[in-house]
Amino acid sequence: MIQLRSVSKEFADGNKVLRNINLTINNGEFVFLVGSSGAGKSTIIKLLLKEMEPTTGTIIVGDKDITKYKRREIPFHRRNIGVVFQDFRLLQEKTVYENVAFAMEVIEAPPKEIRRQVPIILSMVGLSKKAGLYPQQLSGGEQQRVSLARAMVNSPSILIADEPTGNLDPDMSWDIMKTLSEINQRGTTVLMATHASDIVDKMKKRVVEIENGIITRDEMKGGYSSEA
Amino acid sequence: MKLRTGKFFIREGFRSLKRNSTMSAAAITSVIAALLVIGIFFIIVINIDYAATKLESQIEMMVYLEDGLSENIIDTMETEIRSINGVKSVEFISKDTALSNLEKNWGENSYLLEGLEGDNPLPDAFLITLSDPSDASGVALSVSSISNIEKVVYGKEELAKLLNATYVMRMSSVVIILILLFISIFIIANTIKLTLYARRREIGIMKYVGATDWFVRMPFIIEGIVVGMIGAVVSTVILGVGYYYCSGLVKNQMIGFMSISLIPFNQIIVSMVILLIIVGVVIGAVGSLISVRKFIKV
Repeated sequence: MIQLRSVSKEFADGNKVLRNINLTINNGEFVFLVGSSGAGKSTIIKLLLKEMEPTTGTIIVGDKDITKYKRREIPFHRRNIGVVFQDFRLLQEKTVYENVAFAMEVIEAPPKEIRRQVPIILSMVGLSKKAGLYPQQLSGGEQQRVSLARAMVNSPSILIADEPTGNLDPDMSWDIMKTLSEINQRGTTVLMATHASDIVDKMKKRVVEIENGIITRDEMKGGYSSEA
Repeated sequence: MKLRTGKFFIREGFRSLKRNSTMSAAAITSVIAALLVIGIFFIIVINIDYAATKLESQIEMMVYLEDGLSENIIDTMETEIRSINGVKSVEFISKDTALSNLEKNWGENSYLLEGLEGDNPLPDAFLITLSDPSDASGVALSVSSISNIEKVVYGKEELAKLLNATYVMRMSSVVIILILLFISIFIIANTIKLTLYARRREIGIMKYVGATDWFVRMPFIIEGIVVGMIGAVVSTVILGVGYYYCSGLVKNQMIGFMSISLIPFNQIIVSMVILLIIVGVVIGAVGSLISVRKFIKV
């Protein structure tokens, strides 16, 4: 479960990006976070990853209040959250396999488990045959699937996707959405920030809209805009 | 730390050294330069120390005795002096020995001393060498409190000057070496900062997938250590070869009226290798730690 309770965030320059946000996302949900640029979507993601602290309010992830975590507990909190970004953030000098394995290496997973787990996750995103290629040899969609594999390889219970289709053409975007749905159907909670109205409209999932730091809409099986 | 993790760190450390080969070369060069200067100062300091100890050990104290003491009394006095703290050795010089020494020193003018044998005016004396010349005044005080002693003589002022000079030399070398250490740490910190900048994407990913701070830092610290080590090895070789030739050249050369010799190569090389490698590793580790601490904030 993810829960934001009366969360506000004010930057040092006095800019109030979030004002008294209350939001509950249950385990296994698929939620679109929509709103114009600067509305506060990225801030919510940063708060969940504990890259930032809220000015006021509490944030619950799982059953823990993450605002109480100490600095050294943050890495362990993040192991429970997979993240993908618009720009993929792959390591260019590592192969597809190595990019995914890297996420396990850095949390000191046993090599045996890495060798077992990486091929499973690569076949899940349909990249088994491209394991030995480098990111620049792949299409954008494939690169995003590598980053999805990397986000999921440590079996987090939550997946956060920040504009995952922002750099992709429509076909590739649908590819990614299919993979995200599959991940969600396996029980992972998915929170996706996006501007892609066609995707949100067709997926018929829960939509949370933020404008000027306030939740203006929260509907099940919603569309990108309230008129839809 | 698990063994495979150690391997991961070392692999990543070397990989980034290779990847940023120009930067690494620059860092290694600056470490070499710093260690060369540190090494040269080290050599100078311990050679001055060596020369000073040699000179200091030559500082002697003459204790003149009252005339006409019996052998028994002289023997007791000798044991008494020997028991004083800071006395390294005591040698009895009888008035007869003193006279014949004088005759030897005067050479062809020694005929002037003829006839003194019968009524030798020179006193009996003890020649004392000191284990630590800075104790000289204390030892002199203790010795003069023994009865039947006429006079205690030693080069008080010369000794003070010598002690002061070596002290100043040692302290100023320490200051200069400390400054150099700070400079090289600063240079390494800057090199690692560039590596960190070049690898910020990788660091970002590591943090997102939940790598601990130490896990993120370790490869960079290892990179710093490797830079320091390579610098240490190269500068040791340069200094070692240089010292080997110089000590050969200087051997038995006379400078002014002083005979100068350097500490033999095989006595200095081990401590120099150990010193430079430790210094290299420490400045490498500290340098990278400084920049890594600033850069890797979760």
